[in-house]
Parts: sequence; C-alpha cells; structure tokens
Amino acid sequence: MSLFDPQIAAYIPWVSGISAVVCGLLCLYPQYAKFAAGVCASAVGVGFVIALGIWGNVVGAGTAVNPEPLMRWIEVAGLEANYGVYLDGLTMIMLGVVTGVAMLVVIYAAGYMRGDPGYARFFAAVSIFIFAMTTVVMADNLVLLFLGWEGVGLASYLLIGHEYHRQAAVNAAKKAFIVNRIGDFGVLLGMFCIFDVFGTVRFEGFLPAASALLTGDGSGLNMEAAAAYAQATAVLADGGQWLLMAAPFGLMVGAFGKSAQLPLFVWLPDAMEGPTPVSALIHAATMVTSGVYVIARTMPLFELSPYALPTVAIVAGATAILGASIALAQYDLKRVFAYSTVSQLGYMFIGVAALSSTAGVFHLVSHAFFKALLFLTAGSVMHALAGQLDIRKISGLRHKMPVTFVLMGIGCAALAGLPVLTAGYWSKDLVLATTFDRAIATSGGTAFVYYAVGVVGLLTAFITAYYCFRVWFRVFFGEERYEMGDHHHGGGDGHDDDHGDHGHAHEPHEMDWGMNGPLVVLAVGSVFAGLLLGPTHVVEHLIDGTSAEANALRVGDDATPYVKAVHTAMYFVSALIAVAAVLVAYVLHGPKRKVEGDDPVRLRAPKVFGALNSKLWIDEVYGGVIVYPVRVMGSVFYVVDAVIVDTVVRGLGVVPRLLGQGVRPAQSGRLHGYGLGMALGVAAVVAVTFYAMSRGG
Amino acid sequence: MEQTISSLTFSHYFLTGAVLFVLGMIGFITRRNMIVMFLCTEMMFQGVVVTLAAAAALHGNVTGQTFIIFVLTIAAAEAALALGLVILLFRRRQTLDAGAWSELSG
Amino acid sequence: MNAQLVLYLASVFGAIALWLLMPRGRALPWWRSGLAAMIGVGALGAGWLSAGVRWWGEVDLAGGLGGGGGDAGLSVLAVAYYYVFSGVAILSAVRVITHTKPVYSALWFVMVVVATSGLLVSLAAEFMAFAMLIIYGGAILVTYMFVIMLASQSSPEDVIEEQPEYDRASTEPVWAVVAGFVLLAALLSVGFDSPTAYGPAKGMSDGEIIETRLAERLVVTAEDERRQALSSTPAVDATTLSNSERLGLDLFEGHPLAIELAGVILLVALIGAVVIAKTKVPEEIARNAAATPGAGGATVTPTAEAGPDSPEVLGSTRS
Repeated sequence: MSLFDPQIAAYIPWVSGISAVVCGLLCLYPQYAKFAAGVCASAVGVGFVIALGIWGNVVGAGTAVNPEPLMRWIEVAGLEANYGVYLDGLTMIMLGVVTGVAMLVVIYAAGYMRGDPGYARFFAAVSIFIFAMTTVVMADNLVLLFLGWEGVGLASYLLIGHEYHRQAAVNAAKKAFIVNRIGDFGVLLGMFCIFDVFGTVRFEGFLPAASALLTGDGSGLNMEAAAAYAQATAVLADGGQWLLMAAPFGLMVGAFGKSAQLPLFVWLPDAMEGPTPVSALIHAATMVTSGVYVIARTMPLFELSPYALPTVAIVAGATAILGASIALAQYDLKRVFAYSTVSQLGYMFIGVAALSSTAGVFHLVSHAFFKALLFLTAGSVMHALAGQLDIRKISGLRHKMPVTFVLMGIGCAALAGLPVLTAGYWSKDLVLATTFDRAIATSGGTAFVYYAVGVVGLLTAFITAYYCFRVWFRVFFGEERYEMGDHHHGGGDGHDDDHGDHGHAHEPHEMDWGMNGPLVVLAVGSVFAGLLLGPTHVVEHLIDGTSAEANALRVGDDATPYVKAVHTAMYFVSALIAVAAVLVAYVLHGPKRKVEGDDPVRLRAPKVFGALNSKLWIDEVYGGVIVYPVRVMGSVFYVVDAVIVDTVVRGLGVVPRLLGQGVRPAQSGRLHGYGLGMALGVAAVVAVTFYAMSRGG
Repeated sequence: MEQTISSLTFSHYFLTGAVLFVLGMIGFITRRNMIVMFLCTEMMFQGVVVTLAAAAALHGNVTGQTFIIFVLTIAAAEAALALGLVILLFRRRQTLDAGAWSELSG
Repeated sequence: MNAQLVLYLASVFGAIALWLLMPRGRALPWWRSGLAAMIGVGALGAGWLSAGVRWWGEVDLAGGLGGGGGDAGLSVLAVAYYYVFSGVAILSAVRVITHTKPVYSALWFVMVVVATSGLLVSLAAEFMAFAMLIIYGGAILVTYMFVIMLASQSSPEDVIEEQPEYDRASTEPVWAVVAGFVLLAALLSVGFDSPTAYGPAKGMSDGEIIETRLAERLVVTAEDERRQALSSTPAVDATTLSNSERLGLDLFEGHPLAIELAGVILLVALIGAVVIAKTKVPEEIARNAAATPGAGGATVTPTAEAGPDSPEVLGSTRS
C-alpha cells in the first residue's frame, strides 16, 4: 500500500486514536503532560498529510472510492456495517478542512492552554474528537457514521466541560449532550427507515439506488446498488412510501441537532463555556458542520421527498436571521461569534436546501477558516485581558495588540462578505444565488419558500456585516480603555514563562508567534480560499454527482442564461449590502462614535434591543414549555417510584429476608447440626434414587 | 433360587458393612465428645472395609482388598491430624465438647 | 412374608432399639436396656434373615470363603464365623456410640476392629485382616487411647452424673437415628435386590487379569522379556499365589499412581501434624479457658476445680 493509495485513509482516525491513548496516559504523569500537544498535533498533521497524499487519486478517480473495509465490524442478518471508508470529493473537502483546521487550532491551543491543569486531558479529548470526526466524514455506511457522530458528541461534551469545577461549564456540557440526544434519535430513526427501504446502510448501496429511484431508471447500477434498488421498488410497491418520506426527516432532525438549527440550537451558545480553541475547532469549524455534511451526503434521499428540502430551507432561513439578530445585541465577544455561527450554519443549510451541496459546502469551508480565525482572535483578546469579553469594557486595543487587530479585521471582513477578496463573499454569494436559482426553477409554494428564504438571506447578510464590524470597531478603535477580567483563565499562569516576575499580565499584550502563526494561516485562507475556490468552480467539480438536478443547474460554462444572470446580479447586490452594513457600523461604532461603553441602538430602541439581548427569551421559553413540565413529570414519577414501585420492590425484598431468618438457625456453627444435615441429605438422596430405580426397573 | 439360612452371600457381608457404616454415622452426629466423634468416623471406615473385602470375594479378585490398604492410609493420616487438632483445641478451651466451637453461627 | 418388608421392619426396630440405648444424661433403667437389647437382637436377626432370603448374584462365595478350591462346599464353620464376628462387630459398634465413657468407647472399638478382622479372614483376605488388626488395633487405637487419657478427666467413681455433660447426653438422637436407618434401609434395599434388575457388577478375576492384562505387559515390551529371561522367577500362576502375593501384585501392577498419591497424603499429614503440634496457644487464652467454668464443661470434678492452671489440670488427668 503506497502513501497515495486511498485505502490508507482508513488509518487517519486511528492515528488520532493512538494519540488519544497516549495523551490519556500522559494525564497520569503530569511531569510529561507538556508533550501532549506535540503528540496530538503530529497525529493530526499525519492525518492532514495523508489526506493531501491521497487527494489526487481520489479526485482523479471521478467516482466515489470505496476500498475494502479496514476491518469487519457488524455483519448480521443482512446488515453490513464494516469499518470502511467512502471517499469522494465531498469527503476529501471535509477531511481537508477537519484535519487542516484542527492542526492549526491544536498548535494555537498548545500555547493557549499552557499552565492548564488538564493540559493532557484537553489534548486527549481533542484527539478523540479528531478520531470521531474523521470517522464521520469518511464512513462508508450510516452505522459507522453514527458511531463517529456519537463520538464527536462525546468529545464535545468532554471539552465543553473541560473546566469541570465551574458549574456553568458543567451545565453547558450537559445541555449540549442532552439536546444532541434528540437529534441522535432522529438519525437513528432515519437510519432504520433507510435500512427498511433499501436493505442496506452502505452509501455505495443506497445512494445510487436512491438516485435511480429519482430518475426511475434502475439500469446501469452495480450489483450492490441494484439489490438495494430492487428491494426499494418492492418496498415502495408494498406501501412503504412513508418510510422513504420519513427517512430524510429523521436525518434532518439529527443534522439540526448537531448543527444547532432551530429549534435545537440552544446548546451552541452555551457551549462557549469550553476553552476558546474548542469553540473554534468544534463549535465553529468542524463538528457543527457535520449536519451539513450528512445532508449533502444523502442528498438523493432528500430529493426523493418533495417536502424535505423546503423544510430545511425554512428552518435554515429562520435560524439564520434569528441567530444574526441575537448576535446583533450581545455584549459578550464570544457570544456574538457563537450566535454568528448559528446564523452561518443556517446559511450552509440554505445552500444544501437549494439543491446545491456545492454552495453549502463551499460556505462550510470558508466559514471554517474565518470563524476559526475569529474565535481564536477572540481567545487572544480574552487571554490578554484575563477573561474580559465584554465589549462595553474594551476599547481601542489596536495599539496594544496590532496583530490581533489585523487578523480579526480580516476575519470580520470575511464574515461580512466584503467584496472580491474575502472567502465569505464568494461562498455567501453562491448560497444566495443558488437559492434564487431554485426559486426560479420551481413554482407554486416551493418557489415562494425559496424567494422568501433568499430575501431573508440578504437581510441576514446585512445584519451579519453590521454586527461583526460593530464588535471589531468597539474593541480596537476609539480611545484606549479596558478593564481586566477577574477570570484567571487557565492560560493565566502560563504568562510566567513569557514575563518572568510579572506573574499575571497586568497589561494587554500581543500573543507570541507560536499562537499567532496559525492565525495568520487561517487569515490567508479566509482571504484566498474564496478566490481560489469561488470563481474557479473547484468545489463544484469536486462535489459533482451528489445531486442529479444540481448538476443541471451547475454554474459553469454550461450554465443556462437566466442562471448566469442571477449569479451576476448577486455579485453586485451582496457586495452592496455588505459595504452598506459596514458603513452603518462605522457610523454607530467607528472611531468617531458618540456613545461609549454602551450600544447606540439600545438607547434608541431599548425594547427591541433588550429582547434580542435576552436572546428572545428562547431559553426561558424552553425552560417553561419543556424543561419545567419534564421536571414536574419527573417529580411525579419520583413519587410514584418512591411510593409504589419501591414498596413493591421492598416488599419482595422482605421475602428472602424472612426466608433467611427462617433458615439462619441451621447455620448454628454447631458441628452436629452440619453432620445431621449431611446425613439426612445423603439418606434422602439414596432413598429417592432407590425409589426411582425400583420404579424404573 | 431360595437360599437357606445356612448359606452365606454377599448380602450378609454387605449388611454388616452397612450397619457398621450407619452406626458410625449416627455416632458422629449424636456424640459430643470430639474424640468419640473421630472414633465413629473410623467405624464408618470399618463398614467400608468389610464391604470392600466382600466385593473382592464376589468378583474373585483382590482389587477390593487393595483398596483397603488405601483406606488404612487415609485413616492413619486422618487420625494423626484429627488427634493433633483435638489436642490443640483442648488446650484452648479445656473441653472436648464439639459444641464449644460453634463460633461460625450465622 | 415379603423380604423387603422384613428388611424395613428390621430397620424400624433397629432404629427404635438404638434410640432407646442413646445416653440421656443419667443411668438407663435396667428394663430399658433389656428391652432395647431384645428389640435390637430381633432386628439384627430379621436383617440376617432378609439377607439370606434375597440371594445376591450367582457367584458362590463359598469358594472364596473356603480359601481353597472353587468347588469346595460351604463349611458350617465358615457360616458360624460370619454370624459370630458379624454379631460381635455390630454389638460392639452399638456400644461404641452409646457408652458414656470415651475410654470404654475406644475399647469397644477395638472389639469392632477385631471382629472386622475376623470377617476379613472368613473372606479369604488374611493379609488385610492382620494388617487391620496391627495398624488399627495396634497403632491407631493406642493413639486414641493416649489422647483420651490426656484430655479427659476420669471420674473417681463410676457414677454417670459425675461425667462431663457432653459425654452423658447425646444430641439430636431422634433425627440422627431416623437419618441413619433411612439410609440403611435404602442401601440394603439396593444391595439385596435382584441383580437382574441392574445387571451385576462386572469384575475380572485374578486369573483373567494374569492371562490378559499382565500377560500383555510381559510380552509386549522387549525390555520386560529380557528381564523375565534374566530373573529366576517362574511365570506367574494365579492358583499358586498366596493372598499377600496376589495383593502385592495387584497393588504394584495395577495402582502405581494411587501408591504415589497415598505417599503424598501421608507426607502431608505428617507435616500437618507437626505444624499443629507446634502451634503455641497464647498463655492468656489457655488461662481464661481454664478459669471460665462455662467453657470448661469438664471441670465438674474436684481436682479440675482445684487447679485453674492448665498444666495442673492436665497433670491431674494423668493420675
């Protein structure tokens, strides 16, 4: 097996698995814990190198590569779920993003986490995450994908609760885990439906079969897909239509849970209790995008149902505008970016809902770059100001932290989608354009949905550009003014290395280049990824074939004229919107702003701003509508359990106790009692044996 | 075929052996003196010995008699250990009552 | 009368007799002992009767009993031997378990061994008979006597109330007797039943063994043949062998592993006995035991009460 053989991809997760074990062992030896970062980074780096090495072979193959499974896992009763990889352009993009961003974040975290008591534990959990995430994106069947899906959930839980001594972190970890359970349940149901219809959970089997169902032409399939197609037609003829309709909705619920869409998005903002590198890696760049990946991967199934994709579009549009609006009124730096992530994930879903995995995944890639960059720069600010994240208390840091100032500016520009240079511009543009494409291509209610979602997307773009520059202006411009936080972040003690006797830093300071280096790489990606991938249609060529209809709509040289027109129009419209929003932000929050330490919008419209600042009371509503009734129900159950069940169980427990009390005298400890018992027993056995023999004889 | 009282069969010896065995067992249970209890186990051996010898005669070989040797071996080993224990226990409690050692009561 | 029924009746009466004879903590009235003796003897006779009625197997024991040729008739003497020794053995056994004095129990046990040896002689097992007599009667029983003398306090007068309480009264006499005689009845029912019901136990006679198994061993290996040629011993012939020779042959040819195991057991017992004997009893435990009247049930005698110190107690018992 050469280094360029696609089969070697199956080892990528296991390199991280070994790293997880090694880091776990390092937890036991604190004096060696400092090596954990190196171990983790090299494992991820190896994965990245492998991904690059096989890139050419996979993409060159033209179709999905599905080598022999690395090992056999489950083969029972027609269910075949082995540890195998399914490699195509989509997988390779995801793999590249996951391992690449992970490598940069791990390098950053090596410095950021220095001095943290759980240093090795942190990197062990990150390794587990990489293991699970690469499994998700490479799995060749749904069962293995689900294994990784649960694994990333676990890693997310571990990392959000990294500082487990803080109650807030523990609560956030639990919240993330529990909310994700709902989504996981949906994935399971979807998986069951798929297995019921197609008789297989392998992508190689049911994806071509689903595409064939779409076209109604079952010829030209390979044996596996043909078998799945035959079973599916039989099941559909037998009244199994609803199973096929239900399958995408199950997967959708899972995707919404993992990718923080309405109504399951509430966990993601709280997940920012984890260390900032975790927020950047897991809760912005990679894990939360796995929902997008799953829908892009199983696109033929979604196309089979006339309601699935419009539903995704509606939910995604609502989430995008809601997340952006809430982000508008937050004072906490990380919370702004958290809600921004929710909103941007909505964008990705709008992309896939518009039958364009290309747009969704393209936005996913660019978002991975600029959102990781934003989070890490936010982490730098937080690091420098001892945990201070309130933008009302920070101002004019551009002289103290020039590099961070520039880097966050680039990130904000990309998020805002400032024209031509930034990645966000190209990907957001593609999302919106394909949405309008879709609206034109369809008719009736569906068209209305896509038009509405497109308009909402434009509105969201405006808000997005406004709120990110609001933050940037507030933090880095104006008179220099800051209050140090009281939260001695885990990295606090690490400053001793840099500052000698200073102890904790009393002044904001620039990060060293070990931490800024990865940020520069991300910044370069945020800028040039768009130019590289956008106008050249690289992503589209890579994601060829996941959707038959999308191929017809492809924005390339063979695009239909009206599609071309839409795209051209969108270039200008979105550019105008972004620039306008930045100008508004400049007026309200720029260097010449009139209001210091507060938000001018709040002064104008306190009620609206307050509502958004309180996150529209969604957490409170959930608390009242779901959590409180469940709690009451739990109390009722507890009483029932304590009064009825316990009584019955204890009552049953009395029986053996009484029995024991009755028999206990036999264990008198007296030799004669035992001798007598033995003699009686022997006599009885012999007598019974004789009786049986004489009867039988 | 009916036998008269003047003939001897395996059953006669078996009767004697079984009675000795059962008497030994009853003695083990009813007596409280530890030495007598061990004596009774030796008597159970006697019952086994008689039966073994009768069986050897019944089959016309000496294997049964050979096993008596092993019975003797075990009996000798048992006597040595049991009496040693009895002495040890007597030194601790100044009594031969087996009931004095009922410390394992549940 | 049905032989099975006779057997059961004999068991029931034997049980009643034994129950009557069990020590009760005081001297038994003469009529009670007499009644028990009569019932017991009757039960034993009934047992013999049923054993005789139910003829077991087709192998004639007379050949073995006569000790000589297979076709010799059953001598009256041999039958008498059996009844005498069997009766002595059983009566002695009853006395072993009913006598309130351990010393007498042990002496009655000697009688059991002697009677058993007699039975073995009547079964043409002379070697084992004498081995039993020497090892049991000579070695083991002497050890028992020694320990009894060492550990128990002889009462100055032969009054039952002066003896230790644990020797005077029996525990669970009813249940023990019931269990014992149910077992006996069941065993004898099997033993006396017709062999055709279960098939006879199949054993090989010495002649067969020598002809088949031993002959094979002698012939098969060249080494054995060489040895056979070198040794001056003539070929083995079952008819000319004495009992001890046959026994030795069977023991060493047939059960070599068992001999090794027996040796190991004896060694373990030896070491164990040494370890137990060397175990030191802490001084205070011994003193407490001697001072506590409850634990020392034996200390009803004036001598024992006089000496709280254990060495003195032991010393007094030896007198």
